[in-house]
Amino acid sequence: MVEFTSRTMQSGVVVIRPEGRLNMVAAPSLRNELRTLVEGGSTRLVVDLAGTDFIDSSGLGALISGLKIARQAGGDLRIAAPTKQVTAVLELTNLDRVLHTYDSPDGAFDDAS
Amino acid sequence: MTRPESPFVLETMTGPSTLEDIQGALDELWSAHSEVPEVVRMHMDLAAGEIGANIIEHSGEGEPVHLRMEVGVSADAVVTTFTDDGRPVPVDPASVSLPEDMAERGRGLAIAQSVLDELSYRRDSEGNHWTLLRRCSG
Repeated sequence: MVEFTSRTMQSGVVVIRPEGRLNMVAAPSLRNELRTLVEGGSTRLVVDLAGTDFIDSSGLGALISGLKIARQAGGDLRIAAPTKQVTAVLELTNLDRVLHTYDSPDGAFDDAS
Repeated sequence: MTRPESPFVLETMTGPSTLEDIQGALDELWSAHSEVPEVVRMHMDLAAGEIGANIIEHSGEGEPVHLRMEVGVSADAVVTTFTDDGRPVPVDPASVSLPEDMAERGRGLAIAQSVLDELSYRRDSEGNHWTLLRRCSG
């Protein structure tokens, strides 16, 4: 089961970090968590994927869902520090073009601040 | 196709732990076959997870189905088969493609297809049969 930790940076950007396998079991809670954050006014989100050792199509769906609602609210969702498996799956699905990837969560919104 | 030697078998009713059980069967296989390249393992882990998720979600429409999974390694390939007694799956794996970029669903079969050398689906009186093959070379 995936757990999430989240922290808010001084800039207001929220970093959420799932741990473990981001699959059909865990994706719905990430999706809900991201929606709750946006509805609560946090529209600049970073998903830190350093602890995500496996992602599948459901996990990708949760990220895309978060990206859409964040953008609709005037913000954005970016991803940071993907593991080798996550990078491979993003490339396979061409979502590396859609989900902007940064080396570290702290730098993911530097251009916007 | 070479017949896999000593397959690992998972027999279960689908439920919340099924994806973990599927990965568990693959992990056992990998520990017995350290010669299988890392990229091949990664691709089979991903494809088996996608097909497993598909079975859990669609074959039973939310209800448990009986699932039998066999995984084995032959000289040149890793083969995973899934058999379930759920509903027929109205899909031809040969014709799946990725949805548009912003779609939230519908990538599973396309992902499985893209990382495997063979993905086949067959329906008979026993139920649904999926065969996933990933060659160890290339």
